[in-house]
Amino acid sequence: MTPRPWLHGFLDLCLLAMLRERADYGYGLSQRLAAAGVADVPGGTLYPALLRLEEQGLATPSWAPSEAGPRRKYYAITDAGRELLDGQAADWRRFRDGVDALLSASEVSRD
Amino acid sequence: MTDWPQAFEAELLRLGVQPGRARRLADETAQQAAETAGVPAEIFGPAHLYARHLVAELSAPAALSPRTRYEPGPVMLSLTGVSKRYRRQTVFTGVDLTVRGGEVAAIVGANGCGKSTLLRICAGLTRPSGGTVKRTRRVGFVPQDGGTAGWLTAEEHFTLFGAAAGMVPGRARSTGVHLATRLAWRPGRQQRAQQMSGGTRQKLNLVLGELHAPDLLLLDEPYQGFDQGTYVDFWQQVFAWRDAGRAVVVVTHLLHDLQNVDHVLDLGER
Amino acid sequence: MTTLVVATLSAREVRRRWAALALVIALPFWFYLVRRDATGQSMRMLTLGIGWAISTLTLFVVNASRGVDPRLRLTGASVVSIIGGRLLAMTGVGVALAAGYWLLAWLDQDVLHPWAAALMMLVSAVVAAPLGSLIGALLPRELEGALALLSVVAVQMLADPAGLTAKLMPFWSAREIGTYAVDGGSAEMVLHGLAHAGLTWLICAGGTLAVFQWRLRLARYPEP
Repeated sequence: MTPRPWLHGFLDLCLLAMLRERADYGYGLSQRLAAAGVADVPGGTLYPALLRLEEQGLATPSWAPSEAGPRRKYYAITDAGRELLDGQAADWRRFRDGVDALLSASEVSRD
Repeated sequence: MTDWPQAFEAELLRLGVQPGRARRLADETAQQAAETAGVPAEIFGPAHLYARHLVAELSAPAALSPRTRYEPGPVMLSLTGVSKRYRRQTVFTGVDLTVRGGEVAAIVGANGCGKSTLLRICAGLTRPSGGTVKRTRRVGFVPQDGGTAGWLTAEEHFTLFGAAAGMVPGRARSTGVHLATRLAWRPGRQQRAQQMSGGTRQKLNLVLGELHAPDLLLLDEPYQGFDQGTYVDFWQQVFAWRDAGRAVVVVTHLLHDLQNVDHVLDLGER
Repeated sequence: MTTLVVATLSAREVRRRWAALALVIALPFWFYLVRRDATGQSMRMLTLGIGWAISTLTLFVVNASRGVDPRLRLTGASVVSIIGGRLLAMTGVGVALAAGYWLLAWLDQDVLHPWAAALMMLVSAVVAAPLGSLIGALLPRELEGALALLSVVAVQMLADPAGLTAKLMPFWSAREIGTYAVDGGSAEMVLHGLAHAGLTWLICAGGTLAVFQWRLRLARYPEP
């Protein structure tokens, strides 16, 4: 799994991407992040990030009952969230390509 | 651990969160713990630490990296060839620095190299021996220590500094209290400056520096006595000022502060 | 506006220094008690005590605000409003103290001209505030300032009232008016006293203002 410092700064991006796919609640999102192999995000990191998205108008919450246990707070992405995600996704790809380029250059020169 | 939510809510209140909001956050946190079928202390850690973390997270500006670059604004401060001598002794010479609105500059260097003197020159409290200084009129200055009146309470300080800036007392007080909450501080009504802890007094100092909404903020190591959480809050506040188009000059000796600033002026290596 | 806020907060500050305030209120009383049997001596000591007490208290208040003054200037306050506000508050405290002790003297002693006795104490209190602030402006530490004030009052107390030394001292006016109040004589003494007090007030207040104008001066930088 990715060490956590790498995720810092990209957690919001990952959350918005997952919410664009479908609305989800906190625990579901953390399972999807783990399943995608991105990170095992602890609740103390995940929930503040979700609340912040909510307060910045990037995601809207709604409460829904669950089959078993307490009701859940589902988050859906907003238009502002989609717009930000598009911009951030482009930034991320540029960053990723840059890191890739540096890595492959170093591997070529070692050979 | 049934008292976790109460402890959490109490800490939120202490950090200056409004009571209704603190209650909502505490309820929601309990719900979130229930989602994962765990107890809050295991998922979120100690209540007071999580409260601080949450407040810091929520007060952060849209913290998606990489940070959005703002178009630099008008020049707020410019130093050209500034020097300072005391009798025969030269403190520094040939200092150049230009800071625009929306920028943060750090002045670094070893003890005794004249960082505080340079900041006082920027403020206009000390005259330079040579060179030219241009500066915007509205400036806020936060000295390293002192700068408060020991016998007055925080609200009285707000009234006093507000009056100096031409604000009516009620507005000065409410502005001061509002600015204090951004530093996770709720000023006590009875507490005088001399009874405050060092860190709290520095928060008062900071609030007094920005009470009159200056365009340029001059801060002299203003975080002494801050705990880790407050220290993070402080830098977030600096970046919030920057993003609001103000210019900030910070004297510091901590090198890890420098990764996000726009200009670094090293007085030590001259 | 600023002057009034500075005055109000300075008055509050004095009220909070209750230990110093209690000592200051009591000090003229001890002076008075020592020579209660002799009207003239007791009245003079009482008046000098008022002057000493108020000037020392003003010195403390001026010293305590050294840290905030430059910042108030930077925030936009003028030197006149800062210094004026503080003098206003301390003069108010002085007048209240003088009024209280005048009542005591009026009840307890047989004074020839009670109105002149009131004037004597008033003059002492009014001169004391700028004197204390001038000493505070010149001597940065409380102890040094308090010792300087002690010297001034001691010289005033011991000098021959007719000599030049006494006339050069700040509280000569109160002594002159006091002589008329207790022993009678030419009413011209009151006028001389008032003139001396006015001149002393102008010198002390003007001196304070000049020192602070210089110390709190701000470099004028052009806008970029």
